[in-house]
Amino acid sequence: MENKIPAYLVKPVADQKDLSETKGPRLAFLDKTILNSARAAKAIYVQAENSTVQSVIQKINPHIKLISLIYFLFIISIANRIEAQAVITAFIFSLYVLAKLKVFEVYKRTFLLAFIFGFVIVLPASLNLVTPGRIILNIMTFNKPSHFLIYTIPQNIGFTDDGFKVVLLIFLRILNSVSFGMLIVFTTSFPLFVKSFKILGVPDTFLMIITLAYKYIFILSRTIEETYFAFKSRLLGNIKNEKIREVISGRIFFIFKKSMRFYENTYNAMVSRAYQGKIILHSQKKLSYHDFVALFIIVVSGICIIYFL
Amino acid sequence: MEEIISLKNINYSYYGKIPALKNINLSVKKGEMVAIIGLNGSGKSTLLHIINALILPDSGEFLFSGNPVTEKSVNNKTYGLQLRQTMGFIFQNPEIQLFCPTVFDELLFAPLQLSLPVETAVDRAEKTLSFLDIEYLKDRPVYMLSGGEKKKVAIASVLTMNPEILLIDEPLSSLDPKTQTFFIDLLLELNHAGKTLIFTTHHLDLVDHLQPRVAVLSDEHTIQKTGTASEILNDEEFLISVNLIHEHVHKHENGEHKHFHSHYVFHKH
Repeated sequence: MENKIPAYLVKPVADQKDLSETKGPRLAFLDKTILNSARAAKAIYVQAENSTVQSVIQKINPHIKLISLIYFLFIISIANRIEAQAVITAFIFSLYVLAKLKVFEVYKRTFLLAFIFGFVIVLPASLNLVTPGRIILNIMTFNKPSHFLIYTIPQNIGFTDDGFKVVLLIFLRILNSVSFGMLIVFTTSFPLFVKSFKILGVPDTFLMIITLAYKYIFILSRTIEETYFAFKSRLLGNIKNEKIREVISGRIFFIFKKSMRFYENTYNAMVSRAYQGKIILHSQKKLSYHDFVALFIIVVSGICIIYFL
Repeated sequence: MEEIISLKNINYSYYGKIPALKNINLSVKKGEMVAIIGLNGSGKSTLLHIINALILPDSGEFLFSGNPVTEKSVNNKTYGLQLRQTMGFIFQNPEIQLFCPTVFDELLFAPLQLSLPVETAVDRAEKTLSFLDIEYLKDRPVYMLSGGEKKKVAIASVLTMNPEILLIDEPLSSLDPKTQTFFIDLLLELNHAGKTLIFTTHHLDLVDHLQPRVAVLSDEHTIQKTGTASEILNDEEFLISVNLIHEHVHKHENGEHKHFHSHYVFHKH
């Protein structure tokens, strides 16, 4: 049989240029970006997987979950006692256990957020400069108090017990709000949760746009990751960062064009299925006995927390 | 049988520069099954887009049930809805066709746009899920489906409109053999139920399985020949001329040889 294979293709790899001394391309900055993008895709997977676990929490209708979220955020914001917030924390934790979620994984993130926004940022507010009271931790002592216009710097500067209570209250509020929000997100299919906003009067078209955006983030993350791997698999030798940037900007343009094409085709698919400018979405399934029980428990728990604590 | 689609001297080009279809003449009767075959880039998908009035030809006449399809008629709300209701388009890439929050919403989308009562829409969606054996996907977000599942949902989302005509772009693309068999059976079943099927393919084996009337698009973007499946498939010389079968190397145990064949139909030694 006639062989038309170019000569270089039958040459052994060992005969080609030795690349052992060549420095590899510097892609650390890219790796980081791509890994973050891949992480976004993975997060969507994890969220979808969690929402399909069959437990009492996952089974609750997304409408009830949305109402519960709004109601509970209200309860958290008006509960002014640390004891009340602590009870709410315990209550939310028990819901996590019921939902069979990876409690440690979720709380790790929640605590980090609560620590930054509820502790580090508000900690200065517990100083006697801001919140007067009995100092329980002295951090600085001057010879005498100083006065400047309407401000007074006291002789001793330190954290007050009232200040600490305020910080702890804010920390718990943030912890509870974030963890309850995460509980809802992790136990509800995102598209169904978005659809539940229908009860708040959000137009169907807007809900569809959010759903599509979510879908595109997922598709785009995967495309970016795959494009990057294809790119990396063909990169050898010491390539200048400038060249890499040039290639990447070309790839970004390609992905942008691809998204445009995707959007046009999706629009055609909508038109072919009778879309004429106004989207009509179906409301979700009817509420079950289970949903009413869940709503009752949430409402009664909220009232008890406010009334008794 | 009543003529439902008639294309006369249709021409279409992309951006007025790249020709996609040239002087296309094709008519389809009610209840018929028609395959548009040709190589990649011959204009098969573009022709389906024109039949679905998603794009309009540069010149020529397109009649649907005897009425001309023009920009004006398509933009007429009542006529536009009638047209959409009658024709269902299943795209080659199901990814672009699935845009709703969940599978069930996909199936409800078209009936709700067509202002059908919610109960009817829900009933249709549930029956279609059961017909295609995909009830377990009902509440699944569409981006979490496999390729075969996406294709099934794409078909289901069109079937809930109960269209008279089904336009299917490359029905077997990216499907595993088992799912391909499922679709072949489904297409036959739908055709037996009275649906008009127009599909594009470059798989001659699919044409052999379904025995539709065939229109062959050439590399020059024109319809080279129309005829029954056996007329087209047995005209080996013609299929070679339009590059649908070609000479290729072949291995048998220890020996290799080369001859014209398409894997399923013309495997002659």
